[in-house]
Amino acid sequence: MMRLERWFNKSSFWLRLLFHRREADQALDEEIQFHLNEKTEQYIEKGMTPVEARRAASIELGGVEQVKEQVRTVFVGAWLEIFTQDVRFGLRLLRKSPGFTAVAVLILGLGIGANTAVFSIINGLMLHTLPVQDPAQLVELLHQYPGEPAFNGFSWNAYQILRDGNHVFSDLIVGSVNFFKVRADTLQPQTVFGGNVGGNFFQALGVRASAGRLIGPEDVQIGHHAPVAVVSWSFWRSRFNLDPGIVGRKIVIGDNDAVTIIGVAERGFYGLSDEAQQDIWLPISLGPSSGWGFGLLGRLKPGVSIQQARAEMAVLFQTIANLPDAGPFVTKMKLRIEPAGHGVSTPLRAMLSSPLLVLMVVVGLLLLLACANLAGLLLARAASRQHEMAVRACLGAKRGRLIRQTLTESLLLSMMGTALAMLFAYVGIHGLIRIFASGRQMIGVPVHWEALSKPDWHVLLFTGVIAIMTALLFGLVPAIQACRPVSAQPLQETARTGESRSQRRFGKSLVVSQVALSVVLLSSAALFVGYLLELRNLDPGFRRDHLLLVTLDTAHSGYQTAEYARLSEQLVARLETIPGIESATVSSMSPMQGPGASASAFETGHPDNAHSVSINNIGPRYFETYGTPLLSGRYFSAEDKDKPPVAIMNQAAARNCFGDENPIGKHLTLSHITLTKGEITYEVVGLVEDAKYNDLQQPAPPTIYRYLAQQTFSGSQLAVRTRIAPDAVAAAVREVEFSVLKTVPIVRSITMNEQINASIVPERLIATLSGWFGTLGALLAAIGLYGLLAYTVTRRTHEIGVRMALGATRSDVMAMVLRDALWTVCAGLVLGAPLAFWANSVAVSLVHGLPVKSPVSIVFGGAVMIVLALVAAYIPARRAMGFDPMMALRCE
Amino acid sequence: MIDSVTEDISLSKPSDLVQGTLDMLLLKGLALQPMNGLALSERLRQISGDVLQVSDGSLYPALHKLEQEGWITAEWKVSEKGRRAKYYSLTRMGRRHLERETDNWGRLSGAISRVVKLKET
Repeated sequence: MMRLERWFNKSSFWLRLLFHRREADQALDEEIQFHLNEKTEQYIEKGMTPVEARRAASIELGGVEQVKEQVRTVFVGAWLEIFTQDVRFGLRLLRKSPGFTAVAVLILGLGIGANTAVFSIINGLMLHTLPVQDPAQLVELLHQYPGEPAFNGFSWNAYQILRDGNHVFSDLIVGSVNFFKVRADTLQPQTVFGGNVGGNFFQALGVRASAGRLIGPEDVQIGHHAPVAVVSWSFWRSRFNLDPGIVGRKIVIGDNDAVTIIGVAERGFYGLSDEAQQDIWLPISLGPSSGWGFGLLGRLKPGVSIQQARAEMAVLFQTIANLPDAGPFVTKMKLRIEPAGHGVSTPLRAMLSSPLLVLMVVVGLLLLLACANLAGLLLARAASRQHEMAVRACLGAKRGRLIRQTLTESLLLSMMGTALAMLFAYVGIHGLIRIFASGRQMIGVPVHWEALSKPDWHVLLFTGVIAIMTALLFGLVPAIQACRPVSAQPLQETARTGESRSQRRFGKSLVVSQVALSVVLLSSAALFVGYLLELRNLDPGFRRDHLLLVTLDTAHSGYQTAEYARLSEQLVARLETIPGIESATVSSMSPMQGPGASASAFETGHPDNAHSVSINNIGPRYFETYGTPLLSGRYFSAEDKDKPPVAIMNQAAARNCFGDENPIGKHLTLSHITLTKGEITYEVVGLVEDAKYNDLQQPAPPTIYRYLAQQTFSGSQLAVRTRIAPDAVAAAVREVEFSVLKTVPIVRSITMNEQINASIVPERLIATLSGWFGTLGALLAAIGLYGLLAYTVTRRTHEIGVRMALGATRSDVMAMVLRDALWTVCAGLVLGAPLAFWANSVAVSLVHGLPVKSPVSIVFGGAVMIVLALVAAYIPARRAMGFDPMMALRCE
Repeated sequence: MIDSVTEDISLSKPSDLVQGTLDMLLLKGLALQPMNGLALSERLRQISGDVLQVSDGSLYPALHKLEQEGWITAEWKVSEKGRRAKYYSLTRMGRRHLERETDNWGRLSGAISRVVKLKET
């Protein structure tokens, strides 16, 4: 109680001062004046003249201003004034050594900037919560087929079963995503990304309308086709200029009748993912009703944990898998439930979350290294200022004041570094986003890259905290050192050597820690770069050089399938006559393009031994153009056009369906083919080598190749094998294509190598950045080591002189210096190796497919540091070798 | 370049006192009766028979520090002569602190007296 009262009295005093500074000043003035006047009157009463009385009173007081000043030092303001003094003093000091300041600010800028950049992207991609009610309660349901990533997509049947049978969700929200072709009298025909949503979508999410009303249960009755739509706020603004007449406007979606816009969603709501923003929502009854494209989001009942939900829903999902008409895929699926407060999972997030986490760790380690480096620098400076500090202490400066001053210097450096860091971060963020955007585009989902770089108070807070922590980390040591020797001895001692033993030990341990961190960075860089090189040199099952890929947009060609097939044959023939082109082919998919069609395959008559396969529909010279060897059987030929369906398998598919037997001549049945009903039986006519299909990291999937001419699909992927550089023939290819297929535009034209590179952008990014940061870290550590060695040599000059006088040769002296260097590096290795081992295992768990080669990479890191240490030791060693013994002995 | 803020308040008159003792005296003075700074310093001089004379320059910083610590509070009142002045009075906390300090001082001065009174041989 007593303490509380005292605290209360104190704080009310401070608060009054804080907010009424001017009044407090005036009051003080008045108080002092009163004293002066009273004293003056007393002296007048005693007989002095007014002037004398006033003078006497003033002298006794000691001057009004001085008194006021003294009182002010008790005030809060004085504290600020002292702080300003410290800052000015610190700035002066930093100006005196511009080289040091520039280097320190640069290092800090790079370190803090890198951290801010990576964190900013992580924040935008993974930490941003959805603008809905209680996002923490939201979870998304995913199905996972073994070997494939989890996907949020269910059938309508499954949705109904899950909705009606669960007790853990207060709401189960259903929706599907789609591109809509939108038209209106005031609107140009355009493609808008949006979705079909269930009746409780907006309600359950707690999204309000900023105009009109939102889709509700009444719009989604069975049989009742409510032609309504809701648009997003930014759609309203950009297309309709916030016209209040938006409610009731009619627009046309696709080829259907007009729908009425009944409302606008609240500002800032764009669906369930920040990266894939939706602008228009239609009732689910207006959309497709088949397939597994319905996304499910659940709101947990209060008090229900996600584990409980997982347990119950897993059982419920089993009943779906056990339904009689469940396909072969469904029976093997498992249900997964993940928190969705930060938006539903998107391909972008799946692709980028691990690489970003890895990068975060790397830049974090780099910043630590930079701090140790700066601490060493400041320590050296503090040592040289020891003398000055001792003098000041003798002359009465308080210990706390000295610490405060040195800490202010560090804060100043940190602030300047942070300012520079903002610039680096801006450049870094946009550079990273550009790199991500150059990667493989996800089919069917737009990506709003701006969502990744939204500046957010999270990021600012993060940067501020880092800046302060950094300042404390590298500034604390010199500050503590500054406060220690407040005695007479340092005045003599430090004038000479400038450092105490404990300081030297600490300086050495700083360098050792830098070497350790550097080893960690180098070894992980080695891991990632090694992985990338492996991917680059991987044999993908086809020849990746001299291959030009052209994507055609066949959707609106106006050609019938048969006509198109004939024309594409003509195109291929014409292309092969172009000089420089060896062969050409047409297919539905090209390797590394992304996921394609799939099916369930089994040897005809053995439906229980069904396996999942990937499908590609190809033209005649597919394998020659791509360079995939034929192992047995034959390729497709023109005669197959009118024969019963034929197929070519790769080794993996043959092994799965036919075991060790030769599949040639046998029959294969495909069921549940993507976008196709029923089963089709094929005669196997050829066996080819495995080739990578979707990406490099995964093994080649079992693949079935069908003959395009026997299909009703149009092949949209043109591939051309060239004898010369692929880019050289690109123009000729365009010309020929346009002349043969006038209404089919070319969407994209790249080389196979470019396509492969686009598919491994995350791996390339990690390898490049970790390589650069590893190099930077190693250089910093080497510079730190150099500084330490140079200083040691200077300090031990006398000792070296003695040794030389006693018979040591020049090479002995050099060996001494080198030994010193190597011992430091070894200490760093001993510390760093286990750390690197642990870091590498974390990296392996984060980056799918990273080969575990820790020992090799750690040895690499160690070797690099040893080499750098020897290089760093070279100059100090030479200097030591060049000492004249007489001079050295005289040096005290 | 060398700057320092010395905190010791030295009195320019006859006896030099340590800051803590000055605080105790001021608090005691205010315990007798709330008054303004000038009146307080005169009262102390009067009671101590002109021995304890707090210099005007040290009085106000000391008073404001006591106020900061929460041991005294201030109030603007009109003096007998009709002018506005700041009147200080003791808080409960201040009273407790004063008791403590008085006890300490009693023990300290008793001990010093015992040492000083020892007969020299």
